[in-house]
Amino acid sequence: MTEIKKTYKNYVDGKYVRSESGKTYTIELKSESYELPLTSKKDLRDAVTSSKKGFDSWNKLSQYNRTQIIYRLSEMIEGNRDSYVELLVDHGLTKSTANKDIDNAINTIVWYAGLADKWEQLTGNLNPVDGEFFNISHQEPLGVVFTLNSDEVSIDKLIRSFLPSLSIGCSVISFSEKNAVLSLKLAEDVNNSDLPSGSLNLLSGDFTKVFDDISRHVEINALASYKKLNKESLKTINENASTSVKRIFHLPSEDGLSSILPFIETKTVWHPKGR
Amino acid sequence: MSNINGQTLTSPFSWASTIELLDGVKVDEIGVKERVSSLSTRSIKRESKLQALNYVVSMCDLTTLEGEDTEGKVLQMTAKAMRPDPTDDDVPSAAAVCVYPSLVSIAKEMTGNSNVKVASVSSYFPSGQVPLESKLLDTKYAIDEGADEIDIVINRKAFFEGDYRKVFDEIVALKEACKDKHLKTILEVGELRTYENIKKASLISLAAGSDFIKTSTGKISNGSSKEACLVMSKAVYEFKEITGFSAGIKVAGGIRNAKDAIRYLIIVKEELGEDWLDANYFRFGASSLLDDVLKQIRKLKTNAYQSSYYFPRG
Repeated sequence: MTEIKKTYKNYVDGKYVRSESGKTYTIELKSESYELPLTSKKDLRDAVTSSKKGFDSWNKLSQYNRTQIIYRLSEMIEGNRDSYVELLVDHGLTKSTANKDIDNAINTIVWYAGLADKWEQLTGNLNPVDGEFFNISHQEPLGVVFTLNSDEVSIDKLIRSFLPSLSIGCSVISFSEKNAVLSLKLAEDVNNSDLPSGSLNLLSGDFTKVFDDISRHVEINALASYKKLNKESLKTINENASTSVKRIFHLPSEDGLSSILPFIETKTVWHPKGR
Repeated sequence: MSNINGQTLTSPFSWASTIELLDGVKVDEIGVKERVSSLSTRSIKRESKLQALNYVVSMCDLTTLEGEDTEGKVLQMTAKAMRPDPTDDDVPSAAAVCVYPSLVSIAKEMTGNSNVKVASVSSYFPSGQVPLESKLLDTKYAIDEGADEIDIVINRKAFFEGDYRKVFDEIVALKEACKDKHLKTILEVGELRTYENIKKASLISLAAGSDFIKTSTGKISNGSSKEACLVMSKAVYEFKEITGFSAGIKVAGGIRNAKDAIRYLIIVKEELGEDWLDANYFRFGASSLLDDVLKQIRKLKTNAYQSSYYFPRG
């Protein structure tokens, strides 16, 4: 039989694309080496354009429907469990750790799927005010969120870097570096889960090559890095981001309700009570 | 007969000589496509890009042509045409606003003596499927309301039935009704389909006295194309060789981003020369294009990619 090797590509706007620059970088695994797209500034701009549209289409769906779609992602991963385990083992994990990681990932997805239509009840509030008013903290998703995934070899970790923002209605550009094979492999199941195109874009590359542009880009509303950044680049990012009042989160929580808080915009609504 | 920038097309171009023009029309389709694709790959340096983007703003006919248009919407758009980017004094005003006849007086009241012109579509835009008398009424109404420029559509029914004479005569009659007002004739290239048809329609419109020829109404999915623009440029060039009259070109319909707009500029510049890089000879009819151009201008100045959220609506 002819040996078929897979070429992993970026997942942008519901399509698998190479970098427009044609550039790649290599990730060496134990038995295989992969050439992945080295995301260029132009690729990034395309992803932002797509996320901007994706935000609208993702938010047009009811929260209940979003729950179903996120849940479907866990179904897809379960169906392809073997291929994930194989890939994780090739990354250096033992078979049992790899299986455990997939279990965790599926649990995480189910938890966020459940949260997707309930979070506003948990984080929103009717505030006590002195007067004949209702005072309501209404919660909305921030918009387009850029997330930098950690280098840890774990599907669960990867999922925890984009689901907190995605599950509450943000559209996400998820960027991975050294473990990008996992992310681009996951793209296939993301694509099969009925997520509207642009709601989740998965990119691979070198963050140092693009962070200057990302932090300046006015259309990105928040940048969350789940990977430790050095002081210098963090300073540049914060300075650049200040011109567009972009929110920057360095190593935000990946667990529980606190994980979604950074991506929520609160609007306070006053309404007369009347008698 | 025709008057544009002080030039006059002296003797009316007779139908007999127009026929002769049409006889020789042949367009090399492959050649046109090749030429456009080679011009489209040209890269533009940063400083030239800024200049080009400013040109595009100054050539914009900011357009709204919807049944839902209201006075408020037109006022908002006109304000934007006069001051596209209130935070940047170096961004020029747009060339004109383009509206339906019933909204001309509102726009005109606001533009007053500024250099933003008011253009009105007429002749039962976009279909033109009425008798000439109605078209003339429509046009006269727009002029009485204060329109500086009139955008008419050619009679495609007559064109496809082979009655070129009727197409020609209607434009002549409408030009007469326009007097000294600027007349732009819309060919609707998406419906004409072949390059030869586009060139024929261009020549008929020019010979009948149009100051500008315009690609599309923007009302069908097949809007402007760079190829059509190239063919029209060639017609304008040919007509100038024969009569000495320099007509303008307006591209409209489906031009949504700055990059595309710059490619159109390259085509007219290469085909007709630098004189055409001027709002008196080249225009963009657009609604969403301006936003993208403003975004790109600010991007060049601040080095940060922009969101339309921070630019005026309209």
